[in-house]
Amino acid sequence: MKLRQRPAILLLIGATGMGASVWGFSTEYGSAGGQQPVLNGTQLEARDSKRGREFYFTRAMYSGYGRRYASWSVDFPKADVQFLFGVRRLTNIDAYEFENPVRLDDPNLRRFPFLYALEVGRMALSPAEIQGLRSYLLAGGFLVIDDFWDMDQWQNFEYEISQVLPEYRIVDIPMDHPLLSAFYEIDEILQVPNRSLAAAGGRTWECWTRCDPVLRGIFDEHNRLMVVINWNTDLGDAWEWVEQPWYPWKYSNFAYKLGVNMIVYGMSH
Amino acid sequence: MAPLFENAFEFLFKYRPVVFENGRFVFNAPWPVFLLLGIGLVLLLPPLVGYLRVRGKLSKLDTAVLTGLRATAIGVVVLCLLHPMLIVATVVPQENYLGILIDDSRSMQIVDDEQARSEFIYEQFGPEGSDLVTQLSDRFKLRFFSFAESVERIASSDELSFTGSLTKLGHALDRARAELSTVPLAGLVVFTDGADNSGASLTESMLQLRSRGVPVHTVGIGRETFDRDIEITRVEAPRAVLEGSAVVVDVMIAHSGYSGETVQLNVEDGGRIVSSQDVELPREGEIATVQVHFEVTDPGPRLFRFHILPEPDELVEENNQREVLVLVRDRREKILYFEGEPRFEVKFLRRAVADDDNLQVVILQRTAENKFARYDVEHQDELAGGFPTTREELFQYRALILGSVEASFFTHDQLQMIAEFVGQRGGGLLVLGGRNALAEGGYAGTPIDNVLPVVLQAPTDNDTARFFAELDVELTPFGQSHPVTQIAASPAASAERWAELPAISTVNPIFEVKPGASTLLTGSGDGIEDAVVLAFQRFGKGRVVAFPVQDSWIWQMHADIPLEDMTHETFWRQLLRWLISSVPDQVMASIPKDRVGVEERTTITTEVTDSAFLKVNDADVTAYVTMPSGEERAFAMEWTVEEDGEYQVDFVPEENGLYEIRVAADRDGESVGVTTTYFQAAEPVEEYFGAQMRSSLLRRVADETGGRFYTPETVATLPEDVRYTESGSTVYEEKDLWDMPIVFFLVVGLVATEWGFRRYRGLV
Repeated sequence: MKLRQRPAILLLIGATGMGASVWGFSTEYGSAGGQQPVLNGTQLEARDSKRGREFYFTRAMYSGYGRRYASWSVDFPKADVQFLFGVRRLTNIDAYEFENPVRLDDPNLRRFPFLYALEVGRMALSPAEIQGLRSYLLAGGFLVIDDFWDMDQWQNFEYEISQVLPEYRIVDIPMDHPLLSAFYEIDEILQVPNRSLAAAGGRTWECWTRCDPVLRGIFDEHNRLMVVINWNTDLGDAWEWVEQPWYPWKYSNFAYKLGVNMIVYGMSH
Repeated sequence: MAPLFENAFEFLFKYRPVVFENGRFVFNAPWPVFLLLGIGLVLLLPPLVGYLRVRGKLSKLDTAVLTGLRATAIGVVVLCLLHPMLIVATVVPQENYLGILIDDSRSMQIVDDEQARSEFIYEQFGPEGSDLVTQLSDRFKLRFFSFAESVERIASSDELSFTGSLTKLGHALDRARAELSTVPLAGLVVFTDGADNSGASLTESMLQLRSRGVPVHTVGIGRETFDRDIEITRVEAPRAVLEGSAVVVDVMIAHSGYSGETVQLNVEDGGRIVSSQDVELPREGEIATVQVHFEVTDPGPRLFRFHILPEPDELVEENNQREVLVLVRDRREKILYFEGEPRFEVKFLRRAVADDDNLQVVILQRTAENKFARYDVEHQDELAGGFPTTREELFQYRALILGSVEASFFTHDQLQMIAEFVGQRGGGLLVLGGRNALAEGGYAGTPIDNVLPVVLQAPTDNDTARFFAELDVELTPFGQSHPVTQIAASPAASAERWAELPAISTVNPIFEVKPGASTLLTGSGDGIEDAVVLAFQRFGKGRVVAFPVQDSWIWQMHADIPLEDMTHETFWRQLLRWLISSVPDQVMASIPKDRVGVEERTTITTEVTDSAFLKVNDADVTAYVTMPSGEERAFAMEWTVEEDGEYQVDFVPEENGLYEIRVAADRDGESVGVTTTYFQAAEPVEEYFGAQMRSSLLRRVADETGGRFYTPETVATLPEDVRYTESGSTVYEEKDLWDMPIVFFLVVGLVATEWGFRRYRGLV
């Protein structure tokens, strides 16, 4: 008994949700990260009441070769927090309201069965991280990959993930896969542009030449999805800039839909 | 009563105790009573005056003692002059019948008192004759019966074989009483070891005899305890389990003479040993209760044999083994899991049971307000309307798991229906923890609160303070032996494994279980002690389990858990299998015992309910019995009228082997359901179990009917004793009591004491 959600709901997120928050810069994660929320007293209290929640939007902290900042932290934490705001409004998931970055070689990673990683084109995993991510996925963890473009970044990711799961192949996720109907019915994979391209209103791809968005995955031997790969698309930016009137709702709407679907699917399959 | 005591009694009181027990005490004074009392006073006056006159030497106490002794002696004499006597009814010789019932069962062959029990029977009733029979024949017309599984009139001991496979004492008493109901019956005498194994109550038989005034005298043959014997007294095993389930069976072992010795208990399935363990036998008189754990792997009716190798000097070897028939089902059982929000429990529970072909967990999950997802449904329409609103829809499942969903989600009718799902349908209910579960979900005071095994406290969840604790789990003593908590190869290994598991968390503080509920797991941590982690109770026909934690998936995902570890899967499979293990079908067939003898009548009973599990009285019910030879016979089953929905038919097996009973119920041309059960026809073995002479039972039979209990040592007095009865044709005899030796000794003793006291005080 699924209800089709109206796009207007997403506009509501932008208008009444994080639009009310104030964002600034912080050095909590070193050079990593972008804008941090400036929290009032109640929000700080909520941030501290972290234990015992059902869902944490966990971002993978991985080693890489970003020049100016760690690639894992792109859009961090604003994208995470804004997206969580939407998740909490659109579903009844008991989700922790704030970001939750965890290193791949941290044993605590396995306490968070949902994991988000982006900019994996610059990923360069250490042996400990490879082992940590491998045991995480084989134990039942669910990994979502986002925001990496073009063939060179694909090849880098493919190499890194082959270190983690050498026995599994990357395959296309068909459009009739339950992932695409886990909460919303999604019948088209859109290419979600970054903020600059979205603001410009022209092309949506970051590749050298035009490229299409691809949804791929890695399945285990029981045909259960372990890794969802969003290639040639940038869901994170859509979450991050959803409150801005210049960011097209078409893309943020899709990004939220797919994001929610991935969470609901990852929590039930 | 010990013979020595009886002899001493008879010496002092002139008659045997039985005369006093049956007699009525009267005075038959030939002179007026006041005259005798006057004589007594006159006799007492001179010594009284004499003692009062002696002043100085006697204190008041001395005077009282001396006067009292004299007065008592005179009183006894006066009492004798009143001519006391007993009026006792005795049978008229040769006008009454006496029924002699002789145990012809196999246990009478046991040699436990230097000779076989049957030897005593031959000595008394053999062709050479005996004093006992002669004396009884002098007084009564004797009618002999042999009894075991049936009762037969016999003319001589030649007709005894001592090969009966059952001892039905109550049935024997009923039959003998009925056969002798038209003649003056002075009583029944039963020669038996009392090892009744009919399973029937004797109360009704004894009430009938008592109301007719027929005394039953019992003669207990054999020893009440054996010198050296080991016996598997009972095996408690489930009648039916799912294939692949872990089974825990309780085995009770009694013994005599083997305290502290270790024996090996083996379990065989079709000749293959599936479990073996050493058992140290407890102190004399105590029973060892042993839990045997094994896994059932092959579907179908399985005959499990529990046995202990006989010791060289054991008295009865046949009681060292028992067989139990267990139906191992290979079918997919449907369980509904309703979860009120997306939770990782759903994902990992699905994974835990994914490879279990016998469990189908259908999931209904609310993902947002009025938005639901369904997983693993059988067809598109299943749960399409959300949580079931009718009994038919809900009762198709064998168990229900409630996750984090608030009570206010349900209508009152739905809450009531869930309670009835457990109480009336017999379904299993598992309640998980969560922010909207239990007290925090507003369940206190609802119909579901009534069925829960735990006490709900005031909800703690509010906007400002949310209860949360991480708990290290600990097995309770009861949990150490429960099938649900067996997560390793042995109970000891399971206990070790539980202690190693990482902490799980709860948002529902529960510290108390209801009376009658059992706690299997507790948890401590974060300043919390002994929180309830896993508890259950029976409610009506079903089971209810509370598991108030929110993340058992930690036992799968935690970094300390190796990838190949199966603890999480094993725990969930066992919990769910156990939850549904005794859930009834719409049609349920049963027989009283899974092992009956050839020609032994047994009753097939079937309970028929409709899809809402309401009893059906107008069904066409047929039992199809497949014999060991392969021949199938159909028996129409009739509604019993006494019980709604209950149908029965009697069946007598004609050959040894395994019988399949398939019962089909139809109503208005449509099938209500089909069920299959099994039983084994084999030589009954009950005679070898509990075969010690049961004096307590035989005493009870005698006491409650007005008879007496004898042993071979005391049975010589039986012919005299059975004379005193009010049953049959009787006359009243008067028995004088004034000349009892005790009277003489009493008077002489009193006078001698008085004289001695006077001498002591210097009056003589």
